[in-house]
Amino acid sequence: MNQKRTQALFSYAVLLLFAFLTAFPFFWMVATTFKSRGAIFSLPPTLYPDLLFTDQMWDAYREVWFRHNFVRYTANSFFVAGVAALGQLIAASLAGFAFARMKFRGSTAIFGILLATTMIPTEVTIIPEFLLMARLGWLDTYLPLIVPSLMVASFGTFMLREFFAGVPDELVNAAVLDGASTLRIYKDIFLPISIPALTTLFLIAFINNWNELLRPVLYISTPSLRTVTIGLTTFQNEYGAQWNLLLAGAVIAVLPLIIIYIAAQRYIVEGIATTGLK
Amino acid sequence: MKHGKLTPYLFLLPTVIGLIIFRLGPTAVAFYASFTRWNIRTPPQSVGMSNYAELVASPTFWLVFRNTIVFTLIFVPGVMVISLLMAVMVNQRLRGIAFFRGLYFMPYITAMVAVAMVWRWIFATRFGILNYVLSDFFNIANPPAWLADKTWVLPALAIVAIWKQAGFQMLIFLAGLQGIPANLYEASAIDGATRRHQFFQITLPLLSPITFFVLVITIIEAFKTFEVTYTMTGGGPNNASTTLAYFIYQNAFSFGRMGYASALAVILMLVVGFTTYLSFRLKDRMVEYAL
Repeated sequence: MNQKRTQALFSYAVLLLFAFLTAFPFFWMVATTFKSRGAIFSLPPTLYPDLLFTDQMWDAYREVWFRHNFVRYTANSFFVAGVAALGQLIAASLAGFAFARMKFRGSTAIFGILLATTMIPTEVTIIPEFLLMARLGWLDTYLPLIVPSLMVASFGTFMLREFFAGVPDELVNAAVLDGASTLRIYKDIFLPISIPALTTLFLIAFINNWNELLRPVLYISTPSLRTVTIGLTTFQNEYGAQWNLLLAGAVIAVLPLIIIYIAAQRYIVEGIATTGLK
Repeated sequence: MKHGKLTPYLFLLPTVIGLIIFRLGPTAVAFYASFTRWNIRTPPQSVGMSNYAELVASPTFWLVFRNTIVFTLIFVPGVMVISLLMAVMVNQRLRGIAFFRGLYFMPYITAMVAVAMVWRWIFATRFGILNYVLSDFFNIANPPAWLADKTWVLPALAIVAIWKQAGFQMLIFLAGLQGIPANLYEASAIDGATRRHQFFQITLPLLSPITFFVLVITIIEAFKTFEVTYTMTGGGPNNASTTLAYFIYQNAFSFGRMGYASALAVILMLVVGFTTYLSFRLKDRMVEYAL
């Protein structure tokens, strides 16, 4: 019994050590935003933020949010990530349904290509993609941020294929006897019972699109169209050492995702763990 | 399920069109472009192998290649060891374990550009908290300038990348650990095996297919590393932290050399492809006997 307790204590010690290493940067990020300039550049560094619970506590956030237009960037990110994730649900559920429930020539080959091409680094395809977008006149619009991620949803297709394949035949057979069309079966049977899986996929796609950096950097040039990630990048170039402002921007960029993550942790973690793919 | 002959293809239409336009097509174009001289304004001009000849002869390319390897050699073992350790730790039945699991995964879902910012602040030479701790608590007289020091910049980037990535690998390891039958541990405990024994005699061998999978995706992740370089250093100081993927971006979009960048992209793809191929060849030898 005693040995068991020692073991548990040891486990907690290790768990806490990792927890500290994981959480410290987040703590430091938030703490710095509540510090005055003098406190930021003080040695030794102060752990307790001097502006906490004073009138000036939210100054950095106010400045970043309104004066540097992060309110706009955040709204843009919600829009882009939301539309892209929704689109991904449609494309992935259609394809996943075909792979899971239909027999046709080329099924294995197409699925194989879909998975194999996830190995191709974005840096390889991005140059031709950029020129294509330029040709289409899509530069400085949201289309390049939405369309590519929406149409090739390898992870989502894979995940929904697994899910759809597990749907019991009896459910489908009854509908087939009633003479329902394939599209009806997809829409009225498969989509409704897959709401947990679709939610998971939506959240993961939303997170990935929210965090996307390369495409916004390349495609967006009008300031009012910036997403949070590019807003933060340009902000960093302009306000190099104003750490309280920069980190307030960083908090704004990660907070929505952390809230979503905490609220829906089970969906997200299970979805990623069961498929092991991004 | 009965369906029309064309129906599955209609369902696949968006995906297949996307696959052709955004994956296969661009890959083919990148191959073609690697044999041309091409800036955005003028049409591509065929130049044969000269892009490849240039990069082989370029000291910068070899520096970038070396940087990528050094980064990989720190990142991959770091992620593997830490994520496995975290997975073993959170696979215990202890109160509050879900909290730790959730926390360890959190860095993975945050935007690199945002967390890079706080890491730059932590690594800051004079006012950064890391150097304060090193000099005041560990009595290190001259702590390195980290992101401004050409020896320390890659390890620093690797630390950030490991911090951000390990939670993902942890989840895959965790799924693997939960697939190991509990009665194996019970039986060995009756035989008097210690926990360390169990880890090396049961956990590691039975986990080897998962470990292998994690290893492959982690290596590929390392070769493709871009965001941490872009957000933390921009390749500096003096190209000391420029990795291959970032070098491609630089050549294409800062220097306007699409052809040369495409040749670099082809190299990156060959390296990734070769690693994948090699690892699946090795897999038969490494993994199967362990099962």
